[in-house]
Amino acid sequence: MTVTPAGTQMLAALVRLRAALQGVALPLELPGVQEHRTAREEMVNQLEDYVIPRIVTLEAPLLAVVGGSTGAGKSTLVNSLVGSVVTESGVLRPTTRSPVLVHNPADADWFGADRLLPELERVHHATHDPHALQLVPLDVVPQGLAILDAPDIDSVEESNRRLAAQLLAAADLWLFVTSAARYADQVPWNFLRQAAERSAAVAIVLDRTPTDAVDTVASHLARMLAARGLRDSPLFVVNEATLTEDGILEPSHVAEIRGWLADLGGDAEARAAMVRQTLEGAVRALTRRVHTVADACVEQAEAAERLRAGADAAYDAEIAKLLEATADGTLLRGEVLVRWQEFVGTGELVKTLEAKVGWLRDRMVNAIKGKPQQAERVSVAVESSLESLIVERAEAAAEHAEASWRTLAPGQDLLSDVGEDLGRASRGLRRQAERAVREWQQDVIDMVRTEGADKRTTARFLAYGVNGLAVSLMVVVFASTAGLTGAEVGIAGGSALLGQKLLEAVFGDQALRSLAERARRKLEVRVQDLLDEERHRYLDLLASLGIEPGAADGLRDAARAVDDLRYASVERTSLHSY
Amino acid sequence: MTSLLDGAKRLVTRGSDLGDRVQGLGRASEAARGRLDDDVVDHADETAERVARRLGLTGDHTVVAIAGATGSGKSSTFNALAGVELSSVGVRRPTTSWATACVWGKEGASELLDYLGIAPRHQVMRDSLLDTGKEDQALQGVVLLDLPDHDSTEVSHHLEVDRLIELTDLMVWVLDPQKYADAAVHDRYLTPLATHWAVMMVVLNHVDEVPDNRRQSMLDDIRRLLDADGLERVPLLATSARTGEGIDALRYAIADRVRAKEVTRARLEADVRHAAQQLSDVTGTSAHPQLSKQRITALEDAFAEAAGVPTLVEAVEAATRVRGRRATGWPVTSWISRLRPDPLKRLHLDLGKDSSEFTGRGRTSIPTATQVQRARVDAEVRAVADEVSAPLSRPWAEAVRRASVARLPELGDRLDVALTRTHLNTERMPVWAGLVRLLQWVLLVVAVAGLVWSGVLLIDPQLGVDRPNTPDVQGFPVPVIMVLGGVLLGLLLALLCRFLVGATARSRARSADRRLRSAIGEVAEELVVTPVRAELTAYDAVRDGLAQALR
Repeated sequence: MTVTPAGTQMLAALVRLRAALQGVALPLELPGVQEHRTAREEMVNQLEDYVIPRIVTLEAPLLAVVGGSTGAGKSTLVNSLVGSVVTESGVLRPTTRSPVLVHNPADADWFGADRLLPELERVHHATHDPHALQLVPLDVVPQGLAILDAPDIDSVEESNRRLAAQLLAAADLWLFVTSAARYADQVPWNFLRQAAERSAAVAIVLDRTPTDAVDTVASHLARMLAARGLRDSPLFVVNEATLTEDGILEPSHVAEIRGWLADLGGDAEARAAMVRQTLEGAVRALTRRVHTVADACVEQAEAAERLRAGADAAYDAEIAKLLEATADGTLLRGEVLVRWQEFVGTGELVKTLEAKVGWLRDRMVNAIKGKPQQAERVSVAVESSLESLIVERAEAAAEHAEASWRTLAPGQDLLSDVGEDLGRASRGLRRQAERAVREWQQDVIDMVRTEGADKRTTARFLAYGVNGLAVSLMVVVFASTAGLTGAEVGIAGGSALLGQKLLEAVFGDQALRSLAERARRKLEVRVQDLLDEERHRYLDLLASLGIEPGAADGLRDAARAVDDLRYASVERTSLHSY
Repeated sequence: MTSLLDGAKRLVTRGSDLGDRVQGLGRASEAARGRLDDDVVDHADETAERVARRLGLTGDHTVVAIAGATGSGKSSTFNALAGVELSSVGVRRPTTSWATACVWGKEGASELLDYLGIAPRHQVMRDSLLDTGKEDQALQGVVLLDLPDHDSTEVSHHLEVDRLIELTDLMVWVLDPQKYADAAVHDRYLTPLATHWAVMMVVLNHVDEVPDNRRQSMLDDIRRLLDADGLERVPLLATSARTGEGIDALRYAIADRVRAKEVTRARLEADVRHAAQQLSDVTGTSAHPQLSKQRITALEDAFAEAAGVPTLVEAVEAATRVRGRRATGWPVTSWISRLRPDPLKRLHLDLGKDSSEFTGRGRTSIPTATQVQRARVDAEVRAVADEVSAPLSRPWAEAVRRASVARLPELGDRLDVALTRTHLNTERMPVWAGLVRLLQWVLLVVAVAGLVWSGVLLIDPQLGVDRPNTPDVQGFPVPVIMVLGGVLLGLLLALLCRFLVGATARSRARSADRRLRSAIGEVAEELVVTPVRAELTAYDAVRDGLAQALR
């Protein structure tokens, strides 16, 4: 084994490229993504099956893969070339399902499982298992050359088509077989176009040609080849003929190809040149294709970002609206207002504010009997209003986020793949909102209790009790931005003002401000958490796809490293040759 | 849709139910438009249109297409069936670029060829040829098409094949020993067309190239592949256009099918079924529940709350009370209440008899719905959509949801209009109030007269000497009785009327509440319930149409 230092570098670069390709995720259903996925798959396979093993063992025998359409006569051709039946041929299509490799016994070492096509199991008997590679050592085959009979590229058997593509990607030389009935088919030409793109060594065999049609068909095919960039590929014609009893063609029919292969077997330099040509072409095509996959990666990352932004925008907008609604006094209308007014009304607030100590006893009775009940009613009203507000905003956010995802094709697919209906708030939200609001109310009560620890005995504190003061604090919080105008000031603002006066009287101006501020912050945190959890249903879905923004750059870097080494080696060879 | 109806009528006269099916599909696609995925609806629509068009054309001709891969001998088979060299055959691939038609029986065929889009230079009328043998009798009424290939490098050929495959009545797929297992024919045509098995035939051509002892196994193998495609019942024939083997059998097989006159109908029926099935797959089959009464009531309640009905009803009660007291109260004190604002006036609702003329311009100043109220409205609307769309397929559930919220932006305006249009019955007081008022004034006048009388007596006692004694009743001087009686009776009456006014106010509030709710119920009906029901009606129409198409 002679791997040059440059070869080692190249190998390392290719291994890195393979790892980069494998690490790429293309989960979003963008237009054309299927092609990119296939391309990625093919590239990884080609690197594993062919490029990397080939670079490690440049002097291994030349592998000629016989590929082509079903019924074109590939197996018959292989049998005729080696002069004995090594692979099954027949009239039933597709005939060959498992590849057969014919090689010189001396080359047996080269085709162990750790070399070319590592994932195919090596067997020594005929089989139909598409995951097996049958090895047939034969002396007829010149040393340094191996012939592989591949399954067809176009039959109904999908596994055949995939395997054939994989085998052709691993070939040093394509022996492409077509027939008079086949030579204008679309599928084979797609393969030949690929071969031309990566300047793989190709020889075309026009098989099964009726004698009277040879000239017309051969010249037409030659023109087609020239027009598609395969002018230099040799073209062999094999006439349609009856088979011998063994099911092989008379040696005279295939003498031309045999001669060419024998020459190739005898000429180590020509073989090496062919190997290099195909290998370099493969690497070049690979690095070029990497960029399209990298572009696809960028597209994926962008699409994922758009989806994320859509969900974020929907939730941010609704959170902002929700926070605004809890602060600008809108909550102080309707039921909450009525309950609050009942509360302050029965409390004869004005009198309390005058703080006549003589009323102490009455107040105490009041505090024990009436107030807590009234305060309770206010806090229940607050709870139900806040809860409906939160739930409805969460529903709206989910709906908008879903709508924004539906405008994008990958978003639609994600939504239909995921089990639950993301367009609705999550099922337990109402309960969670209820709990969050209650916990916040408890927070406020605790704050009032702590803050008022040293004021426990004051008349006003006793008059309204912890609950009453907590309720007043909530009302103050709900009107904290006080964006109230006109008549609303009279209602909502007035009620808040009343609460504020009360609290100021109990706690003092400064303390109240910080108290209200803290209560408000706590509410914001709870509401934000609640909706963020909802938002995370979307974000987690995106995160689970494993799209990394840097994947494309990693891919391009790896491809560039390979390219750099390729150019360096080209320069070196050109220096040597001059 | 006239062509559709024409076609349907013609079919009915021909004694077939295909017309019904087409109509069903047409109705379903019309109702599904804008609610389901456009691609599916378009396909259904085009199918209905095309089938209707085909039904309108000659019923005497059957279009038979010969399709297959390049080199499988389509043109040779075509020529063999026609009995003359019409299509060029050759070894260069692909040979045939344009579809050629051969027509047996010219009558009415030109319309059909026009429909197929076959240019006149590619048409051959079999009548015009001299030889009219026995075979030609057999194929009377056939339009035989030689299609281009579907698998060569010429993509335009594939498109032409795809187009004509849609329009033919009977498809004859020509396979050959080399290519019979190609993915190009199985995956692209045979498997997707499995629903059309009734109008397909498969021919293995070039059978002369297969050794005799292998033929049966090859035919078995093709049978296996066809079974895998879902074409178990499609007939499979072996022919050789070169040696003429099996061509007669093929001709008679085609002739049999054509003579039965069933192919055209079967083909179109398969098309309709296919399109209807696709539509049915996205529509789903479950029935939908009706909107429940409670749901609608809950919705109306939420609307009423958002519209401020409770506020308004309270205002009506308060206003009636204020006005009633003003009318029936003691005149001396009741003018004071005029200083207080009338609750209804404050809400800009009391526009009197002309109120309806001002609607649309004058907006009420009932506080706009708070976010909490609005949230409750949204929740109720969502619940309405949820209730009926729970068993529906996703696109339909979304359509219902869309319809339920589509008109909500109008909500504020519409509720306002509904409120101002509603007659609250506050401007007129009951008749008894007028009588009480009169009585109050009379009592006041009496009291004042008594006062004046007593005043005159007190200020100028001398005058009393000349005058007769002041009349008295049981010792009480009449002027004093007049003053005291007038004042006391007036106050008593006012007190009594307070209860009456209270009762009136409450009953008026109740009736206002009733009227307002019914007005708001109409708004809810129009903005939410009707659009939702329209979607459900469309859903029913689609399911109904599909049931008819798939029956």
